[in-house]
Amino acid sequence: MSGPTPVQIFHMEEKRKQYRSGSFFLKISLLALFLLVPFLFPSFKTVDLAMQIIIFGALVASFDILLGYTGILSFGHGMFFGLGAYCMAFLIGKYGMPSYSNLILGFVVAATASAVLALLISLLTLRVKAIFFSMITLAIAELAIVLTTKLSGLTGGEDGISFSTPGIFSVSYSMGEFMGIEITGKIITYYFILLSCLALFVAMLRFTHSPLGRILQAIRDNAQRAEALGNKTFVYQSISITFGCVVAALIGALYAMWMEYVNPESSLGVMTIMLDVLLMVIIGGMGTLYGGIIGAAFLKITQTFLPDLQSLAKHLFPQSELLHNILERWLLLFGILFILVVIFFPKGVIGSLQEYRIRKKKI
Amino acid sequence: MVEVQGVNETILKVEGVHTHIGQHHILQGVSFAAKADAVTVLLGRNGAGKSTTLKTVMGLLPASKGKITYMGKEIQKNKPFQIARMGIGFVPEHMGIFSELTVEENMRVAMLVEDDATARRLERVLDMFEALRKFWKSKAGNLSGGQKQMLAIGRAIVNDTSLLLIDEPSKGLAPIIVDAVIEAINQIKEHSVVVLVEQNFYMASSVGDDFFILDDGKVVQSGQVEELVRNEELQSRYLGISKVEESNG
Amino acid sequence: MAESIFRRWNQELTMAGAGVLFLLPLLAIQPKTYLTLTIAGLAMGMLLFLVASGVSIIFGLMDVLNFAHGALFAWGAYVGFSVFQLLMKWVEADSVLQNLAVFCIAMVAAMVAVGLLGIILERVVVRRVYGNHLFQILITFGATIVLVELIRVFWGPNDEVTTVPLTFSGNWDIMDVVISRYRVICILLGAIVYAVIQLILKKTKIGTIVRAGVEDRDMVQAMGHNIYLLFTGVFAVGAGLAALGGLAMSIFSLQVYPDMGGTYLLFAFIVVIIGGLGSVTGSLVGALIVGLSYNYVAYLVPWAAAGVNVLIMIIILLIRPTGLFQAGK
Repeated sequence: MSGPTPVQIFHMEEKRKQYRSGSFFLKISLLALFLLVPFLFPSFKTVDLAMQIIIFGALVASFDILLGYTGILSFGHGMFFGLGAYCMAFLIGKYGMPSYSNLILGFVVAATASAVLALLISLLTLRVKAIFFSMITLAIAELAIVLTTKLSGLTGGEDGISFSTPGIFSVSYSMGEFMGIEITGKIITYYFILLSCLALFVAMLRFTHSPLGRILQAIRDNAQRAEALGNKTFVYQSISITFGCVVAALIGALYAMWMEYVNPESSLGVMTIMLDVLLMVIIGGMGTLYGGIIGAAFLKITQTFLPDLQSLAKHLFPQSELLHNILERWLLLFGILFILVVIFFPKGVIGSLQEYRIRKKKI
Repeated sequence: MVEVQGVNETILKVEGVHTHIGQHHILQGVSFAAKADAVTVLLGRNGAGKSTTLKTVMGLLPASKGKITYMGKEIQKNKPFQIARMGIGFVPEHMGIFSELTVEENMRVAMLVEDDATARRLERVLDMFEALRKFWKSKAGNLSGGQKQMLAIGRAIVNDTSLLLIDEPSKGLAPIIVDAVIEAINQIKEHSVVVLVEQNFYMASSVGDDFFILDDGKVVQSGQVEELVRNEELQSRYLGISKVEESNG
Repeated sequence: MAESIFRRWNQELTMAGAGVLFLLPLLAIQPKTYLTLTIAGLAMGMLLFLVASGVSIIFGLMDVLNFAHGALFAWGAYVGFSVFQLLMKWVEADSVLQNLAVFCIAMVAAMVAVGLLGIILERVVVRRVYGNHLFQILITFGATIVLVELIRVFWGPNDEVTTVPLTFSGNWDIMDVVISRYRVICILLGAIVYAVIQLILKKTKIGTIVRAGVEDRDMVQAMGHNIYLLFTGVFAVGAGLAALGGLAMSIFSLQVYPDMGGTYLLFAFIVVIIGGLGSVTGSLVGALIVGLSYNYVAYLVPWAAAGVNVLIMIIILLIRPTGLFQAGK
């Protein structure tokens, strides 16, 4: 039989339509926005904000591979992120020196270490119950923080490790001016990380659309189907989890490059990183990958402008001390928001939009 | 579909009930009625929806459509514990025995009130099933299959039960035990209405008065059990019973 | 293969293993110190049991994984702290009667307050996510954040120092062995609670219904019992137990701080994995194992103390994933 089959034609049409659809245009403009941030908003605060959104957006997407696509809640994602950061810190900082080869080695070590750890944990616990995975990742994540803090000889302890990035990425480097802005090492690092995160994001997208990705969604949605696959389900889940964790570690290594500093609380913390990731994925939308970016943007922007919000509120309601107390505890508000979203909008922003679109199409 | 019009009072009426389990549309409009002083049997192949029907009546599965009336009251929206308290007893397919509890404790969980009437009923149950008296203080998990079935039935009738729903009581039991169960049901039907789900035709024909055959989630045939016993064609069509197998009972 | 051996010689192996585990440190520690550590370990174990038993029963009956248990633990500690603040004179008095009285009042206050909190939590939040473990974890995690932040709102964000009632503090010196008084009290407390729980479960009708429900929830409903009321009740009791644990632990460690629930929640999870979800006896045994091993190892190899329990948990997962005891025991 020559020529494409009807199914193939259908797929090609779908692909072509995809490039013309509204959401694709949105994605491209978003990418363009991030590309232009250093030129449109040269202040360091804004560039840092954009970088945080990009990094956390990708991190949340990698978490979504576990949560939204595999249906497994891991409390260890912050740990893998921190693991990658520390690997990088060790290789170009504490135990090595800033060089391009060490930089690459940093990524390799981060990926390998996280892969081994993730596989170990998943194969060990998933064959029992999925909820054990959640409990154990919580335990191991806490353990990791305690060990990192206590074994300060090895890890720099609570004070963390400071280091500089090599060559063109280092802060002191300058490539001259372009369109009125000085191209420092920081800006080059920004683009490097942006493109890397983009590549990782594309990889994650392809993963979810791959045959393995589809099997996972089937397992997640239909427990009976999972039983029919027998013992194999936890193997598929382990592969998927490992993939998500490796991506998280790589992102962690990139984060280390940007911050040029790691320490247990900011890089590994359960109450810091993990909490943020959970909030972002719930608000943005589980199982949508893109939700991560929305969630990250929402949270990071709110956190940045929170002090301003607080003083505004104080200005408007100067008497109520309880109100002040409650606003000081912005985490309380986020916690309530989190619960409300889980109950009423479990699909988050993107998920609800997708559902709305599907419902509209049916009419 | 033959409508059952009897002189006897209709205790349970199921009308046009649909039940979904997840995405599967199991019951697609089941209608039948159980009369007083009769044993109604629900027959059908595996997967026809018999157990699902009983569970829906009991409220363990929600009916997506339709009406279930018991003694004149609509119960399709009630919760299982409310339905049980209205005097409906349930013996599930897997018997639902609490293995870690003793026989005595199993019965205690079953007894909703602890008064003289219940005590008398308990005595009756123990008279009917001597084994339960013997193993009163033993763990229910240690009982044999037949004894567990006795316990399951005993639990369901120790209260003031007007309607007893039993799901495949003969499953996995030796023929001699099946006879004991038949004997028990014959005694029970003097006090309560019984709706019995069965695949074992011998069992069904020994105790049943009216029958309804389910296939693919709908009632396809109904009538008197005596007629069904004589109608071999119906038996083989819906129950998968071939003439060779008939020497079962 | 390991599993089948384990199954046949279950009881014997567990006893032997436990025995080896707890006599082994005698090789490295002096007998007198060993005794002190053992008491400390048992006390810590008993307190962990209080927290873990709630998680275990709630999971066994309701199939709900309650990640908010740590926050309830912390709330119990803080309510107790406030009671002590109010009645500080009794706490500092050198009278067993007054100390006991204020301790009991604190216990009751903590258990009632947190029990109510538990009821609200169950009805408003947990009820919506029955049957879905993932959402249970998410929602109870969110509840934890809210509860902990509320502690910060009502009591302030700083660590506070707790006071041990005077007659409870100090040590007994019996033949050169130092035995802390409060630790013995904790052991007694835990033992009493265990006995009461077992009594209720085995001898009362409601306890029997709970045990039946752990085996087959639907059947209990079909037999005429309002399982939803039961759930709320069990959840509240679990919360009360956590509060008791929090109160006792805060006096044990001489401090309260908003995040204190987090660490102990972890311990509780390790305990229920080792002991078996749904088993009260399992929680007790698991908790004692965790408490004892933590104390022995903390003395011998300080930095490994946190890790040894994770290690035991991993070993249990490998050879007997459902835990040492079956649900319902």
